[in-house]
Amino acid sequence: MKKLNPRGMQSTIMFVFTVITISLMLVLGIVMYIRFSISSRQETIQSTKKLMEQTGESLENYLVSMRQISDAVYYNVIKENDFSSKDNSIQQGMNLLYEANKTSLRSIAIYNGNGSLIVAEPVAAQKEDPDVTKQDWYMQAKEQMENMHFSTPHIQNLFNDDSRRYYWVISLSRMVEITDQGVSASGVLLVDMDYSSISRMMQQINESDNGQYYYLCDSNGEIIYHMRQIQISNGISSESSIAAAKYKDGVYDEVFEGKRRKIIVNTISYTGWKLVGVIPYSSFTHGMFNVRYFIVILMLLMAMMLVVVNRIVSVRISRPILKLNDSVKEYEAGEKPEIYIGGPLEIRHLGHSIQRSYEQIETLMQEIVLEQNERRKSELDALQSQINPHFLYNALDSITWMIEGGKNDEAVFMVTELAKLFRISLSRGRTIISVKDELQHAKSYMNIQKIRYKNAFSITFDADPEIYDYCTVKLVLQPILENAINYGINAMDDCGEITVTGRMNDGNIILSVTDNGVGMSEDEVSLILTDSSRIQKHGSGVGLVNVNNRIQILFGKEYGLTVLSEPDEGTTVSICIPAVRCTDENRKVLEKGYILSKEEVSDGDIQDKQNEE
Amino acid sequence: MKNNKKWFIVTEAALAVMVLVLVFCMMWEKNKESSHRVSVIVQDSDDSRWTAFRYGLKMAAMDHEIEIFVVSTGDMVTPEEEESLIKQEIAHGADAVIVQPVPGDEMEEKLNKIEKQIPIMLVEHAVSTEQDNLGFPVTEADNYEMGKVLAGELVNDYNGNVRGKTLGFISEAAGTEAVMKRKKGFEDFLKDMGAEIRWSFCGPGQKPDKDLLGKQPKVDFVIALDDGSLKMAGEYSAANNLHGALVYGIGNSTEAVYYLDTGAVECLVVPDEFSVGYQSLTETAKCLQNYFYMMEDHTVSHTVLRREELFSEKNQKILFTMSQ
Repeated sequence: MKKLNPRGMQSTIMFVFTVITISLMLVLGIVMYIRFSISSRQETIQSTKKLMEQTGESLENYLVSMRQISDAVYYNVIKENDFSSKDNSIQQGMNLLYEANKTSLRSIAIYNGNGSLIVAEPVAAQKEDPDVTKQDWYMQAKEQMENMHFSTPHIQNLFNDDSRRYYWVISLSRMVEITDQGVSASGVLLVDMDYSSISRMMQQINESDNGQYYYLCDSNGEIIYHMRQIQISNGISSESSIAAAKYKDGVYDEVFEGKRRKIIVNTISYTGWKLVGVIPYSSFTHGMFNVRYFIVILMLLMAMMLVVVNRIVSVRISRPILKLNDSVKEYEAGEKPEIYIGGPLEIRHLGHSIQRSYEQIETLMQEIVLEQNERRKSELDALQSQINPHFLYNALDSITWMIEGGKNDEAVFMVTELAKLFRISLSRGRTIISVKDELQHAKSYMNIQKIRYKNAFSITFDADPEIYDYCTVKLVLQPILENAINYGINAMDDCGEITVTGRMNDGNIILSVTDNGVGMSEDEVSLILTDSSRIQKHGSGVGLVNVNNRIQILFGKEYGLTVLSEPDEGTTVSICIPAVRCTDENRKVLEKGYILSKEEVSDGDIQDKQNEE
Repeated sequence: MKNNKKWFIVTEAALAVMVLVLVFCMMWEKNKESSHRVSVIVQDSDDSRWTAFRYGLKMAAMDHEIEIFVVSTGDMVTPEEEESLIKQEIAHGADAVIVQPVPGDEMEEKLNKIEKQIPIMLVEHAVSTEQDNLGFPVTEADNYEMGKVLAGELVNDYNGNVRGKTLGFISEAAGTEAVMKRKKGFEDFLKDMGAEIRWSFCGPGQKPDKDLLGKQPKVDFVIALDDGSLKMAGEYSAANNLHGALVYGIGNSTEAVYYLDTGAVECLVVPDEFSVGYQSLTETAKCLQNYFYMMEDHTVSHTVLRREELFSEKNQKILFTMSQ
């Protein structure tokens, strides 16, 4: 599983801010859009219903007026007059009614029971043989005598027209009782309404370009008016008029040809015609398309602005922390820049704290290093200073004794050896000297001691010349020799033997001092290199512990002294030091306190280390 | 820090691109909403024979949200006049034109030039009588078939025996491809049936001389090959000035139907002019709405009208389109 990298503070702040603001904005936008679209939809439905009610009323008024004309013709003209009368009152009555309503009327005609025209207004020549008895309106009137009948729109096929045109009419027919020469007979009164009146009314409400439209059908679903009437009859378009005709008044949801739409049905009184309003769902969003675009663009612009604002805010919040972080990183990388202190109070405080911490660490580190160096140096100085006064006192005492005793040659030899001793002891302040010098120093020391102890012991130096050019800590043999004299062979009578050897062994230099003195028990041997608190009974006061410490300080813990002793057999103290060539460079490196590893114990390695430093 | 800045710039750039795309879409939608304008140039455009055609155009315009403009033209238009009218309409912002081409071969050349600017849809008939339509889509009735159908009706009325019968052709726009095909269809049907063609008014761009019609030798049938000539023949027949000749013809006006209704015309073949208008504009709209759409030819139907069934439900719908 891929491990996620931790995000930066700035990106986190910006990401969180952006997600929150955009989410809020989206929710707000969607809620507003939904609210707006619901209210817009309801408003559309309400306005459509209102419009349909008004149109329905207009249609009803129109149809009522037609019925009133029919009634007026029947009750005021037909029933009041005898068709045989010659005063032409029927024609006049019909003419009056026609003239008063001719804008919406095509014709008024009365046919007898055989389908022959009795009278018509306006007066026009009847077609040669219209055979009205086969026309729907006539048959309906005959079938249901008590009712008035509204036909569907059709071409009027009754009269010749000079303009050679054909008119679409809706026929209102009814059975009437006519009186001819005092004899009552049945006839049919026909009032042909001009279809264009209804058509105009419908066209007026079908002006919308949003896909919403209205149509009129009869109770069987046969279309009376539809803006796509011909397309429907030609099969180019279709309409759910049959289904709509079965609906009661109200608002319905419908899926027609795969498209959802609202159907509003309004029934026209008496005729049973249905005025149907169709609102496709797409029309609800018509015109809102730009609103949608506008909202989305607005949201995007707001998002852009918010991203900028979020960035500014996140940068302002995170910049001080980032700067502080950068300065800490630089510090960690080894540079020493100023820790950033700025921004808000908390960050300033943090900066101050970190800077103080770093400063304290720095100071402490320096102090530690200084203390360490000082400690080493003081230890060395202390050790060396412990050597000098005690030994000098003894040597000078011996020289005084010789001079007093007239042993001038011995005194000269003693002084000469003392001079050699001190020359090497001083070594121009060096701590590291060559093995050769150290051996020379030991020889001078032993020569002085032999004179002092009147040759009570013998000394033998047996060192390989190959180790002469290697480094050693100065004055390490002298305390051992001093101990060998004081504790090993002092009690013996002129038979003490001390042997100093020097060998190269497995990359180390082993300097050994062997005496044939009284030796030590195992307990004493174990304490000799560990118990630094023991009080020296004799000598310079520099114990083997100090020699061991000095070697380990300069060369490391793996080097130092080894003591082998047997009571009444003698003691061998061995110094083990690394074989490091005694050059100025190596000496300086060792004197600075750099402890060598085993691998580095070669000239080249030390050189490299020195160069690096 | 740099990564943050990069993301910030990328986010802003992406949002800006989205805004630009939406603005472009909005503008595009707005432009799309402003409907295309199509001009219609037909001869004698105010004549009643174009009523159904105009109604078809109107319905198609409503269905396809196209703005149409029917140019008012005179009786006869010359190729130059028609070219000038088309150019004038292009200058007025027409995105396409629907043209009834004027007879004459030079019209083809002129239309070829215009077609490079805007789409052209021909109606009623093709440009050339000699070749098949060269690249121009046409919406028309099958004129040859109408001629044959008319001849078939005539022959049926005489139980297939028209031997020795005489007939004369009359046409208003005699030089048009439509009239020629109708005539050819009629003649082909009557071939070897023994009917004699006595006379015909034919001549490109010429109108039949009204005075001459009555003076023509007596024939048994007058065959009117277009609406204008049918109305004239009907008028003569109604006035009994055709020496008893029966009129058969092709027409698409209420006057033509009226003469049939009154018995002045025996048989009438009516091309579906509503469909000519509807289909031609629909095809043009498709071309305007889809740049890569290639307009296709459309052949509309025709109906044989007889007096006895003139007011049948089906025929009333034809009359409805003519009466708008």
